[in-house]
Formats: sequence, C-alpha cells, structure tokens
Amino acid sequence: MWKPVHVFAFKRKFDFLGQRRTALILSTLINIISIVAVFAVGLNFGIDFKGGIAIQAKAKDGTAELDQLRTTVGALGVGEVALQEFGDPSTVLIRVQRQEGDAQCVAGAQRVMQKRAGPGWLVKPGASGTGDVEFTSPTPLDAANWRDAVSRAGLTLQERQLPRGSTNTARIDMSIEQRAEWCQQVAIKQVEDVIGANYEMRGTESVGPKIGDELMRSGIWAVIATMFAIAAYVWIRFEWQFAVGALIAMLHDVISTIGIFVLFQLDFSLTALAAVLTIAGYSINDTVVVFDRVRENMRRYKKMSMVDLLNQSINETLSRTLMTSATVFVAVAALVLFGGPVLQSFSVAMLWGVIVGTYSSVWVACAGLVYLGLRSDSLRPADDKADKADETEKAGA
Amino acid sequence: MLNLPRWQTLVIAGITLLSVLFALPNLLPASVLQHLPQWYATSRINLGLDLRGGAHFLLEADLRSVLNERLTNLSDSVRAELRKQQVPFKDVTVESGRALVVSLRDEANRTKAIDAIRAFDPTLAVSGTGDTIRLAYSEQELTRRKKEVIDQSIEILRRRVDETGTLEPTITRQGDERILLQVPGIKDTTDLKRKINQTAKLTFHLVNEDIAATGQNIPQTVPPTTFLVPTREGMLELRRTNPKAWEDIQTANPRLSPEQICRRYQPQCLPVLKRVVVGGEDLDDSKATFEQQQGGRPIISFTFNSAGGRAFCAATRANIGKRLAIQLDGEIISAPVVQSAICGGSGIITGSFTTQQTQEQSLLLRSGALPATLTIIQESTVGADLGADAIQAGTVAALVGTALVAIFMFVAYGPVFGGFANLAMLVNLLMVFAGMSILGASLTLPGIAGLVLTVGMAVDSNVLIYERVREEKALGRSAFSSLATGYERAMSAIIDANLTTLIAGVLLFGFGSGPIRGFATTLSLGLLTSMFSSTIFTRMLLAVWVRWRRPTELVI
Repeated sequence: MWKPVHVFAFKRKFDFLGQRRTALILSTLINIISIVAVFAVGLNFGIDFKGGIAIQAKAKDGTAELDQLRTTVGALGVGEVALQEFGDPSTVLIRVQRQEGDAQCVAGAQRVMQKRAGPGWLVKPGASGTGDVEFTSPTPLDAANWRDAVSRAGLTLQERQLPRGSTNTARIDMSIEQRAEWCQQVAIKQVEDVIGANYEMRGTESVGPKIGDELMRSGIWAVIATMFAIAAYVWIRFEWQFAVGALIAMLHDVISTIGIFVLFQLDFSLTALAAVLTIAGYSINDTVVVFDRVRENMRRYKKMSMVDLLNQSINETLSRTLMTSATVFVAVAALVLFGGPVLQSFSVAMLWGVIVGTYSSVWVACAGLVYLGLRSDSLRPADDKADKADETEKAGA
Repeated sequence: MLNLPRWQTLVIAGITLLSVLFALPNLLPASVLQHLPQWYATSRINLGLDLRGGAHFLLEADLRSVLNERLTNLSDSVRAELRKQQVPFKDVTVESGRALVVSLRDEANRTKAIDAIRAFDPTLAVSGTGDTIRLAYSEQELTRRKKEVIDQSIEILRRRVDETGTLEPTITRQGDERILLQVPGIKDTTDLKRKINQTAKLTFHLVNEDIAATGQNIPQTVPPTTFLVPTREGMLELRRTNPKAWEDIQTANPRLSPEQICRRYQPQCLPVLKRVVVGGEDLDDSKATFEQQQGGRPIISFTFNSAGGRAFCAATRANIGKRLAIQLDGEIISAPVVQSAICGGSGIITGSFTTQQTQEQSLLLRSGALPATLTIIQESTVGADLGADAIQAGTVAALVGTALVAIFMFVAYGPVFGGFANLAMLVNLLMVFAGMSILGASLTLPGIAGLVLTVGMAVDSNVLIYERVREEKALGRSAFSSLATGYERAMSAIIDANLTTLIAGVLLFGFGSGPIRGFATTLSLGLLTSMFSSTIFTRMLLAVWVRWRRPTELVI
C-alpha cells in the first residue's frame, strides 16, 4: 500500500498580506478592465438574452461548408447571420438575429409558402399599423384546407379567423407583436428550405423579442440577491467586517468572470449565468474556511497584530484551500475536455471561477479585513464565549 | 465522537442502503430490469428535453383581449340595465384591458347608476367624479382573473395536446401570463402548434320564441335578456350575396359581437336568451359520427357531465316545443325543436358539416375552449440524436471527472482515508440519483454538469476533515483523538461552505427554467446529500475501521 502524498504541504510560511498592495492594484485593474471591456467590447450574448434563432445542423455528407452556408443563409434577408463549427467539423451552429416582423419577413413567408404549398401562393402585409397578413391561394380553399396551408408557414389559425366557405384569400389579423413572434418561425423555415437538401436539422431554438430583456433583468437580480444573501449569512456567522470582505471577494470574482466571457467572447447564455451564480456561491467556500480559522486565532492570540494573525491563518489553511480547489478543478477540467460544445462556455467560466475564487479568498477577502480595520479584539462577546467553551473542551480532550 | 452506538451505525447504514436501492433502477441494464417488478424498474430519473429530444414552447396568453372581451360583454349588460332603470346616459366605453367608463347625462343619477352596475359585478372598483363613472377591476381581481385564465388554459392544453395519452407533455405555469409546454420525443411541431391555437366555444341557449314569433328577422328592440346571433346558414348566405360585408366582419377590429353583426349586416339571425343553459365546459365527451337515418349525414354526438346532464334535462323538460339553439364560436349551428325531455345526459348536433369538420369540432369540444389566444414566444426543438450526443458527452465527462477526483484523493490521503472519501463520493452520487428519482426531477445536460461539480465539492468536506486531522496529529494528539477532534473542528467550516453554495443553488432554482433548473437541482441536492455522505457516513466507516484496526498511528 502506498503512502499519502502531502501535495500542498509547504515548509515555508508565506507573507501573503505583505503583497496586499500589489494585489489590491492587480485586482482593481482586472475589475476595471473587465467593466470597461463589457461596455467597450460587449458580451457575446446568447439567444437566451438577445432573442433570435439558433439552428444546429449537421452536414449529410460529412463536412459543413461554412462559407457557402454563410452566403446562402445571408441571402435570405433575415438580417445578421453568424455561423460557427459546433463540436465537430460536420456540425454547424447557425445563429440568426431576432426577427422584427417587417416586410422582409412577409416576403420570406411568401417564399416559404411557394416552396412548401405551391408556386402560386402570395403573402402580403395587411393594413399598415397592424400586424395583419394576407394570404392568397391559387385555388379556392375551405376552412380546413386553409388551416393546413398556412400551418406550412408556421402560422396557426384560430377557429374564428378561418374563412367561411371556400375562398382564395384569407386575412389573418395579428398585432404587430404577434407578427414579430411569428416571424421567428418564418425565418427558421426559410433556413430549413435553403439548406435542407444538404443538412440535417438537429435542433432549433427561437427566442422572441420579449423574453430576452426580462431574462436579463431577472438574471442580474438573481446575481445580486445571491451575493447579498451569502453576505448576510456570513454576517450572521461572523463579524460584519467578514461579511463585507466576503461581499467584495464575490463581486471581484463575478466581475472578473464576466471579464473572461468578454475576453474569450464566450457565449453568454443562461448556462453562463448559472456559472456566474455558482462561482459567487463556490468561490466563497475557501474564504469561509480561512475566516473560520481567523476567528479561531482571534480568540487564541488577542495580542497578535491583525496582519500577522491573518498571515498565520492563511498559512495554516493553505493546504486545504488549495486541495479543495484542486478537487473541483479536476472535475471541471473533465467538463471542459469532454462535456461537449453546449457546456463549453459554462465549464471554461467555472474553471476560471475556481482559480479566481482561491486567489480572492486570500488577497481580496483577507486583505479586505485589514483595510476594513478588523482588530484582534473586535470579536462579538458571543463569539468570544464560544472560545472559552472550546478551551475547556480542549483541556478535557 | 467515534464511539458510535450500534443503533446509529444501523440507521446510517440503512439510509445508505435505501439510497442505493432507489438509485439502482437508473444504473441497471435493461436486461436485468425486465426481471424486476414493474413499479421498481420504472422508478427512474426523467431525462430532460435536451437529453431526450423533443419540443419546448413558452406560450404567452393574450390576457388583455380576454379582459377586453369581458368588459365589452359587461358594457352591453350595463347599457341594457341603465335603460331598464331609466337612467339616461351618453355613452358606455371600454378603457383597454382595465376599466369601463360610463358617462351619464345627469349627475343626479350617479348613485342609482352605480347601484345598477354593481348588481352585475360587485368586484368592480368605482371611481370618477360628476357625470362619469369609472369601473375598474381591482389589482387583486385582475390577478385572480389572470390566474383563472392561465389555469384553465393549462387544463385545456393538456387535454388537447395529449388526446391519445402517449405524449407525456409537461405543462406548467410560468409567471403571471405564461405557460411552459414541453413535449418529449417529437420533432415535427406543425401539428402540435395547430392544436395549441384554436378556440372552440360552445353554448346552448333557448330561443326567445315570443320575439321569433313576430316574424321579423331583426327586431328593432329585444329585451335585455335576449340577444341576436347569426345562424351559420345566414352567414354562408351573406358571404354569397355580399362578400364585402362578410369580409368586413372577418377583419373588424375589435371583433364584432354576434348582435352587432346581426344589426349591421342583417344576415339570418335568431333571438336567443342570453342565459346559458349548458356550456361547453359541462361536456364530458364528444364524437364525430353519422346519423342513423336520413342518408347518414356527419353529426357530432356528445355526453354531458352530471351537472350538465341535470341542467340539460331540466331545461328540455320545461321547454318542450320550443327550440334550443346550439351556438359555436358566435354562430348558431342549429336550433332543433325540443321534442321531449332529454335526460340521458347525451345528445347530438346536426348541421351542414363535412366529415372532417365533425372530427375537428368534436376534438375541440372534447378539450373545451381556450379562454385566451396563446402566442409562442420561445420555442426549441431538440432532435433525438442531438440528445443522444449530449448524453454521451455528459456521461464521459462525469466518468472522467469522478475518476480524476478519485485518483487525486487516493494520492493525497492514501488508500484508507482516500478510499473512505471516494466511497462517500460514490454514495453521494447514488443519493443524488435516488433523490432525483424520488422527487421526479428531470436530469438535463447542465444537470450533469452540476453532478460533476458536486463530485468535486463533496470531497471538499473530507479534505477539510483530513487536513484538520493532520493538524491535530502534528500537535501530538493520539490517533484516536486526532480523528475525533478533526471531525469536530472541521464541521463549522464544512457547514458554512456548503450552505453558501446552497444559497446560490436555491436562488438559481428560483430564477431559472428548464435546463438551468436541472443544474440547480443536482447542485443543491448534491450539496445536501454530501453533508450526509462526507461527514456522517465517513464517520461511521471510520468508527468501524478504528474499532477493527485499533490504529496507534495514523497514516494520513
């Protein structure tokens, strides 16, 4: 049997907080750069937030011709189109901007109808100021056939909108917003029509204009709420300085993670937001472990200077801080390497989160305690009492 | 600390065993499962749509139109009532989606008018001054009505989408005015979308024979209890003779009420009593069949539920010889004369239908009317092979991640302590599986990521314990004492660390939807169960080990 290897056991004691000024400058810089980058360069928002269409297609003959696809799909008049290889060379992710429901879309609907229902079909916009659309069929159709026909353009008709008897034209009244939502479907069908011969549609996703903004707002609230809830918890368990230190550390981690999203132009989707929230929750783990030891040492060494006490606490907990980060790091590394393209941006962000979380627990959270004026005697009476009980217990053991 | 009473050991082992038992159906191969009892073999974790393939829709209900429609109906009633009470008024208008505004000719009639209106709908809040009365739904009432509409829509969608009972759709409310519809395993959504977006409103009314007896198609005035509704034949006739008028009716915005259509365009209409004898909501079932005699025309047969049956029976008994009008979506399909009391709880609708029409109508009647128009605001379809790829990637990542963490723990803490931590990690995985099977939660691709993360985080608790044990050992404690104090002293940091991450997990669950919820579920569940597996379970293992080996020195 083998002997355990003390991976992160260091003989030397490091003067971590001696570097606190350098760290302060470094952290501030990273955060400022991140914030500036968000405004100057911008996040690469996924369709969850931006609205729009994502189509995953796989080439039937093996390789996806990105340039050719870009030309074909770009010529449809569906607006901005972005393509990227997705996972392997045969699979491509086609992203189309969100559709506005304008005349372009109605013209697109006509192309779809002509391709799918027959060459004689016409689609025209209705009265201006409304979202109405008028369909004209080459032959008179009855209600049931009408419903069938327009469903080919991804439009669903209500019973009361159906023409009675058999007619050549049908006007479908929609509000402008409803038409904009419908136009997402039209764009998907158009793309399907032009690439369908050579590509297999593996999955489609469309997000209408309404959702994105809402998700963004509630996402930002979720991040803020998480950070404050965790800080509140730390406040209950420790002195207020610890809570503020933790909050600053979390902010630091969250902001710099967002910076990473900008730097690598990673897809900022809902999963990415999940990563940001998880980082806020997890990066605090190391911090709490150090804080726990700081409090313990504060009870024990009332006369020691705060910087020395913090340095000692960090050194004492260093091996576990690094070990806990390392276990999560290897698990996340497996996700980065094998988790597939969908999880890519999530995993990369998490990987960064683990590293920055370890850094911030030492140089942001603990350094923060120094700047916040925590002193060896600022323990609450209740926390100090726990110390006495602890000592008695230790004496008995 | 390490002297566990026997009962505690048994309880811990019992919980562990139970989790294994609940998790097993997810792990056993199909060949083994088929020999096990069905209830056990099928209690497995659901796969989310992103792994299983299928369609996902986020639908938004057009609640504004619904409220407008209700207010419009109300305005008609208010007008009639004010006339009846002889309160002169200038106008009754609908303020979009919110309120009704009545302008009186004489301010003196204000109280009388308010009393008359409140008799209709006591939930309206009255405001306004002088000769204008503003009647608005209160915030509370609006919320209640919205909730009602959404709940009803969900129920009806469920019946429509899953007519055959094989699709297993998940339909849930999202926020105030949205519905999330998930249908696993389908790729072509055209059919589904068509079913989503149809209304079908059926009501039975007695014909007001006194008015009908006057022989006028469109009488100048009708009593407030009565309204005019065009017949289907009348509308078909209008379309033939006056296509322009017909076109105008179709495109009118806001939509014309049946009475307005009758008054403006004068198709063949029938005066019917407003009171609904039985509504579509009281239908139990309806089928497309053919008439027995008279050349076998396509007809729709239906059965009422007990309440509907009773109401129908009473109404037909009291009105023999009168006509009963069947109104579908604002047109009278037919108005047969009641020959005798119909108390069997069933009946038929005849009319000029084609077979296809009877089939569609009967499906819509079966499922009931959708109270609001639903718009698809988010949609995604995942092909089955895309799901299969995701499962494969997820599984490989999970296996590699688990293996890497296990190797790491073995190297860092040796075969005994590393082994205990790794055993705990496996138990934790099994407990998450068991928990998800019991909760009926769905496993999504982000959920697998959450699982991998908890693998890394679960051993963190062991790291904290072992590092503390090393420290205590370095202080010169005995093997037994270092273990005991190590466990004890590490606990507060373990609880704090897990709870902070758990806070993030729970908030994420509240915020997210679909796949993200899957992530929040596995992460939160994994953290909770790891508090058992990494501390309580490993402590039991250690207690047993200590009693067995009686170590004098710890190799940690």
